[in-house]
Formats: sequence, C-alpha cells, structure tokens
Amino acid sequence: MKRKIILDEKDIPKQWYNIQADLPNPVPPPLNPGTGQPITPDMLAPVFPMNLIEQEVSTDRWINIPDEVLEKYLIWRPTPLYRAHFLEKFLGTPARIYFKNEGVSPPGSHKPNTAIAQAYYNKAFGIKRLATETGAGQWGSALSFACNQFGLELKVYMVRISFNQKPYRRIMMETWGAKCVASPSPDTNAGRKFLAQNPEHPGSLGISISEAIEDAVTSKDSRYSLGSVLNHVLLHQTILGLESHKQLASIGEYPDIVIGCAGGGSNFAGLSLPFVRDKIHGKKVKIIAAEPASCPSMTKGSYQYDFGDTAETTPLIAMYTLGHNFIPAPIHAGGLRYHGMAPIVSRLLMDKLIEARAYTQLETFSAGITFAKTEGFIPAPETNHAIACVIEEAKKAKEEGREKVILMNWSGHGIIDLAAYDAYLSGKLQDYVLPDDDIKKLLKDLEKFPKP
Amino acid sequence: MNIYCNQLGMLIEFTYCTSMNEGLPCRNIIGCWKERTDIIALLREKFSGGELRKVFSGPPKSRIERIVESIKKED
Repeated sequence: MKRKIILDEKDIPKQWYNIQADLPNPVPPPLNPGTGQPITPDMLAPVFPMNLIEQEVSTDRWINIPDEVLEKYLIWRPTPLYRAHFLEKFLGTPARIYFKNEGVSPPGSHKPNTAIAQAYYNKAFGIKRLATETGAGQWGSALSFACNQFGLELKVYMVRISFNQKPYRRIMMETWGAKCVASPSPDTNAGRKFLAQNPEHPGSLGISISEAIEDAVTSKDSRYSLGSVLNHVLLHQTILGLESHKQLASIGEYPDIVIGCAGGGSNFAGLSLPFVRDKIHGKKVKIIAAEPASCPSMTKGSYQYDFGDTAETTPLIAMYTLGHNFIPAPIHAGGLRYHGMAPIVSRLLMDKLIEARAYTQLETFSAGITFAKTEGFIPAPETNHAIACVIEEAKKAKEEGREKVILMNWSGHGIIDLAAYDAYLSGKLQDYVLPDDDIKKLLKDLEKFPKP
Repeated sequence: MNIYCNQLGMLIEFTYCTSMNEGLPCRNIIGCWKERTDIIALLREKFSGGELRKVFSGPPKSRIERIVESIKKED
C-alpha cells in the first residue's frame, strides 16, 4: 500500500490559481467610510509594493509563478501527500484519509508559500527591507527565511510575552538574519507610548501591527508584509492545493471532503480553493473550515458591510461580523467574534461553497495526540482543529459504512509548540470550574493592572 | 492558571487575558474562559459598563482595518 504520493519537481505547478475569476459573487472591496467608495490601490501603496497590490485586485484566473520564486519553492516543494493508513486503522474507518504535509518547509509550516513570493515581489519593486509583526513567531520565522533567500533586511516586532516565552522562534528568525525585537519596543512612537505607560508591557498583536506599519511607512525603501487574510496571500497559498490536486489525480483519487483549519484563512484557502473551483463547475465535494470554538468567526455572525467601531470612523470591509450597532446588554455573544477571517473565505461561506465547524481546545489537542500516536508527526496546535474535523468525518464514514476520501492540510509541525502539549498532557488545559478562592485571587491580581 | 491562546500560539496567564487591551480584557476572553469560570460575572465585577462596552461593542477590527487605520495615523 502506497504511503507517500510524491510529485516530481518538474511537475510543480507553474501558476497560482486566483478564485476571484470564478466566484459566482465577487468579494466586495473594502470601502472608505468617509466616501463610501472602494479603497483604491494607491491608498495601500505606502505599505505594499504595487506588484502585490495588483495581485490583490486581480481577476485573472491564473497568475504565472516567477522562475525566481519556483527556484526557492523547490527547496522544499512539492511537499509529500501522505495516506494516513495508521490513523484510518486506529479509527476503524472505511474512509481513505490523505494529508498534505506542509510541515516539511524550513520554518515548518505553510507560511513560506507566500513569504517567498512576497519577498520576491518586494525585491523586484526595489524594496530593500521589510517590517512585520508576529505573535507566535510562525509568520516571523517564515518571512525571515524568505527575506534571507532574497537578500532583504527584515525587522520583526514580536509580541513581548511571546518574545520572552518562545525563544526558539526568535532564534530561528535571528539565524536567518532578521532583527527581532520585543514589542512594544522603544523603536517606534507607538511602542514608546505603551512603554511609557508600563515598561514591562507584555504587548499585544494590535500593538505589534501598529509598530510594524509605522516602521514600514517611515523608513526608507521599506514596506510591510502580512502572512494571512489578504487576497494575494491566499493566491500564493494555492500552490499547495494545486499540488494536492495533481497528487490525488496521479493515483486516481478525488476527495469527497476537503478540510483545513482556519484562523486567518490562508492555509485553508491554499488547500481548498482549487477544489472550490471544481465545485463551482459542478463537482460534488464537501469543503470544511475548522476553527476554534473560542473565537468562531465563521460559525456565528452575519455577512455585511460593517464599521470597525461605533464611531464609524474605520474603513468598511465585507466580513462575518455582528454589525456595528451591536451593543452588549448584558455582555452578548458578540464578545466571541473574531474579525480576522479572509474576505474570500467569508464570501465562499456566504455562498455555501464551504462550511465551517468549531472545535474546543480540548477536542483539538486530543485529536493532535491521536494523530501523533498513529501517524507519528506532532502537529502544530492550529493544525489540530483540522485533525479533529477529519476524525469526526472519518467516524461518520464508519457509521455510514461509506468509503469516503478525505483530504486535509497538515499545515505545520508542533515541535516548537511542545509547551502547549505539555500543558495538555499534564492537565493544565482541562475545562474545569475555578474554585471561589481562585476567583478571589484572580480579582486581586487584576488590581495590579492600570486602566486607561 | 494557563490557557492556550490561539492568537499568540502559546500558553498565557489569565491576567494577560484581562489586561492586554490597554488595561482592559481581550475581546476573546469570554469564548476562551467560559468553560472554566463564570467569566461574565467576573468581568462585571471588575470592570464598569463603559469599559466592557469599549471592549465588546461592535465587531473587532480586522487586519486590513488595522492596516489602513495605521497608515492614516502616519499620514
């Protein structure tokens, strides 16, 4: 029985697939709330090079992958497609489960699929250095690798709490030559403001984003880079779905179900968009985005043009949200929304071309452990959401006695996230009700933190 | 007391969840902690209605919104 389906280097896809050419309903552009008109490419020019902005708005179905990008992709691509025989056997399912192993890239995730492309396009546009933010460090390390490959400088603003507690990601970035600083940093106005309030400020993703953009806008020959959500990011990620399509075709298979985890939507979209195209053209395939139950962007909410705040001052963009007039009284489930999903993915959900499911933290770690114990590879915690969904579908196939073909994106390995596994295995992540004494202690702890 | 933060990809303490937003809670705090404690009661006890409204009213900002907002600031 074949375990790995390997695509020869000469068969690597030479074009990315742009779903915007095939969408039954186009993704509405983000609007300027001041004018109600779409945000124009020149408004984004201070932070992105024009060649990437052109991809952001392109409706060309296929976009050629430059030779310089293909050359770098070949460092780790094409990635292997695995048949998960041992997981199938463990579950006793008649389903045939395949997983695309994106964990074999140098930084260990799917992220360099767009990092390499973005570094190339910035360099081609004459940019000398990039700035970005990173939370967990996955994107920062991918862009560090990519910038090193193309001789670009990179500065990464890493959320301080993560900078202090996840040294290995920082070391990866520095190994590839990037400058990684704890955010808030003394290097920007935004960072200095927060440090003045609290010199030990733990940081947040929002602060890091502000610092990276300020850096890009105010530094010579610099631009900003983002590893999720945007259309051109999803475009670059389609390389992995196109490879999977070819690999399955080479063994005469086609998936009944395609599954990816969805935070910002890039790895899910990368795997699924070529199959969404088939679905638009009549193919029967179920496509599922698996998201965290704690921040269910897609499993709750409504699709609408929306303001980012009640003052109606921020730009409009089509997203899954609750609506800007929502006021919690008392605190409403609106507090659960996460506004980070890619507009293309939101559009596909609205048009019922994909579906979304939410999984709890414990479900996902349990699934990840099952995967590691059967297939051997330790998944990244976010990948575990997709695995939880695969296991659910494989069990369903067993109940129905149907030989379904399930395809999953194994978006990254968890070797640098072992602390999370340790917490799960030692019971620290168990869902339990806190005793009153613990709650009192927590309330007391809160006294230490200043309020605005 | 730890929880795995999906946004930061790491274990964090409860105190971070309650203070990371300029002294106010993360807007994902309810979804993340509701299984472990009566987080809504706890938030009501600790924060004023105005503070909670500031955190939870309206949808959270998307990345693209943050980007355009930051560009405007630099202008």
